Amino acid sequence: MRLILWALISTAGAGAWAVLALHRGETVSAAWMVLAAVGTYLVAYRFYSRFLADRVFQLDDRRATPAERLGNGRDFVPTSRWVLFGHHFAAIAGAGPLVGPVLAAQFGYLPGVLWIVFGVVLGGAVQDFVILFGSMRRDGRSLGQMAKEEIGPVTGLLAMIAVLAIMIILLAPLGLVVVNALKDSPWGVFTIAASIPIALLMGFWMKAWRPGRTIEASAVGVVLLLLALVGGRWVGASPVLAPLFTWNGPTLAYAVIGYGFVASVMPVWMLLCPRDYLSSFLKIGVILLLAVAIVAVAPPLKLPPLTRFIDGTGPVFAGKLFPFAFITIACGAISGFHALVASGTTPKMLRRESDARLIGYGGMLMESFVAVMALCAAAVLDPGVYFAINAPLGALGGTVEKAAATVATWGFTVTPGQLQALAADVGEKTLLARTGGAPSLAVGMAQILGGAFGRTLTALWYHFAILFEALFILTTIDTGTRVGRFMLQELAGHLWRPLGRTSWYPGVVFSSALLAAAWGWFLVQGVADPLGGINSLWPLFGISNQLLASVALCVGTTLIIKSGRARYAWVTLLPLAWVLAVTMSAGWIKIFAADPRLGFLAHAGSVVEQIAAGAVDPARGARLVFNDRLDATVCAAFMLVTALVVVTAAWEWLQIFRHRKPATARETPFVETAYVG
Amino acid sequence: MWARLATLVRRVAGMPDYAAYTAHLRRCHPERPVPSEREFFADYLRTRYGDGASRCC
Repeated sequence: MRLILWALISTAGAGAWAVLALHRGETVSAAWMVLAAVGTYLVAYRFYSRFLADRVFQLDDRRATPAERLGNGRDFVPTSRWVLFGHHFAAIAGAGPLVGPVLAAQFGYLPGVLWIVFGVVLGGAVQDFVILFGSMRRDGRSLGQMAKEEIGPVTGLLAMIAVLAIMIILLAPLGLVVVNALKDSPWGVFTIAASIPIALLMGFWMKAWRPGRTIEASAVGVVLLLLALVGGRWVGASPVLAPLFTWNGPTLAYAVIGYGFVASVMPVWMLLCPRDYLSSFLKIGVILLLAVAIVAVAPPLKLPPLTRFIDGTGPVFAGKLFPFAFITIACGAISGFHALVASGTTPKMLRRESDARLIGYGGMLMESFVAVMALCAAAVLDPGVYFAINAPLGALGGTVEKAAATVATWGFTVTPGQLQALAADVGEKTLLARTGGAPSLAVGMAQILGGAFGRTLTALWYHFAILFEALFILTTIDTGTRVGRFMLQELAGHLWRPLGRTSWYPGVVFSSALLAAAWGWFLVQGVADPLGGINSLWPLFGISNQLLASVALCVGTTLIIKSGRARYAWVTLLPLAWVLAVTMSAGWIKIFAADPRLGFLAHAGSVVEQIAAGAVDPARGARLVFNDRLDATVCAAFMLVTALVVVTAAWEWLQIFRHRKPATARETPFVETAYVG
Repeated sequence: MWARLATLVRRVAGMPDYAAYTAHLRRCHPERPVPSEREFFADYLRTRYGDGASRCC
């Protein structure tokens, strides 16, 4: 009976893949994409994750977990597995899995969905699972601590630098996504701005008025936020208020940087904690809503499976299918960032060892599913509309007529009237060149949700989607600046002791300002970039995220080898090899490619020529050249750190194989569980 | 029913659970003083966001 069931699931999944891959001519329903993905997830979860749990990690329910042994009723709390699944998912899923797939849709939907689904079952979910397992066996130690203890102090330090670097590079493109979604959009700016006083109100509610009443405060916050969303339409239409909330790109960029700085030095209860709750609820709510709507509406995928842009001439970002599809989609397929969560709060809450399978492996499958839904939302748009929203203004031309003509040269049709009508439908003046993925995702979501719950509300759905993305990007900016500040202080404390004290206010302000300035620099550079910024910043982010994934996979491989099961080390070595191939070739191309659209150094060279020819203002040109060289340096530094981590880890493995070092992992000793059954 | 739902919401969103904590204290450490809800909340903020709280992109 079981056998028949799994045979059916496998056949359904394989059949759906065949429909997606082989269908030519007419459009395919998004339901096939969902079916192919879910079928693959189920089979992978049932068979591969069980193999990992039983053979490779040898999870043992008789062994007491940190939550049981160290239970303190606060952070170490044994939690039932589905609740913890929700918690872990809310912590790992952010804007990454929503933005990457939308950008990579310029290659067509097929490369994206293949990489998201097969990348996750063989790579991303394995990474999250192995790190969660390692941390669970080590009292909830962090990734950096595990790297230090199991591989060596040099690797530990490198891991820490890697985390700090990715934090800086991550925040800039995320900030840019918000800026591009909100520029010249009074409705959007008003709603997001309103979230700040709402969060402050919630903060005072929970801290001062009714201490600890977090659910009550969050309910009030969510209601107020939805009121602000509805009120935004009125603000956007008001001749008096609209100009106050109509901000251009650079102004918004400085506002976001200022917000990041101020929020990260404020006490956590005022802003961070309430926003964290709002983001969590909104995230889970929206994702459930979207899943229901996609299944209910089953919209047709209008984007072709493959576009001509796999040759590297695409307008959304430069570069060929390999390696850039795999860099652009990081979160959703494999995301190094998750290693921080999987070695953070989650391992301290596992009730039984075997729960790690559902939470580590299953949680990442869920995130991958979010990425598939984001890809669906992009693929249900008319390709012409998709490119008009996602191509930079420099490529499109400033008016809807020019944009329609440009899109026609790419082989897609869209009429100026169609673009104007769409912008009016969602309550915006223009949707042209709103790069960064959020707006096209919001248009797609508005179409899907509108199809399921009523078309009259399209504008509201659009702004709801923008609010949902911007809200948790701003939360990430706050926490990211904060985490980065703590790490910076830890590193700086070695140089001058007072800087390391996290309670010394000048030190806090100084290091926060330094960090906000660091990512702010890249953000401002992105806003000023004539090619649209996402073009250069998103690949850098992808490379840095994959770098962290290689660190995590190196740690994972070491854990497996040291527990004496080196014959299974391929489960992490395989994705490691792939991630390295992708990161290294993408990094190399971004630095050295001769095409100025692609290579940082070639772009710098072309700007130098333009300055010499008098085509570019020398001061502005000098800044562009500096930024290109900075990007190239950052990229080279990422590659160097990755190489060093891999080499130091490989050295450790070699020592074990040659019996110079014993293959013993530093796990916490076995304690038998007191739970029954 | 309502209490179980509230616990579920708290755990998923990573909110503090005062009732669960006091129950834990009474069961495992009856000799320790029970903090007020206000103290408990301040303590929760320190442990959850003390290191900046990692969260994903």
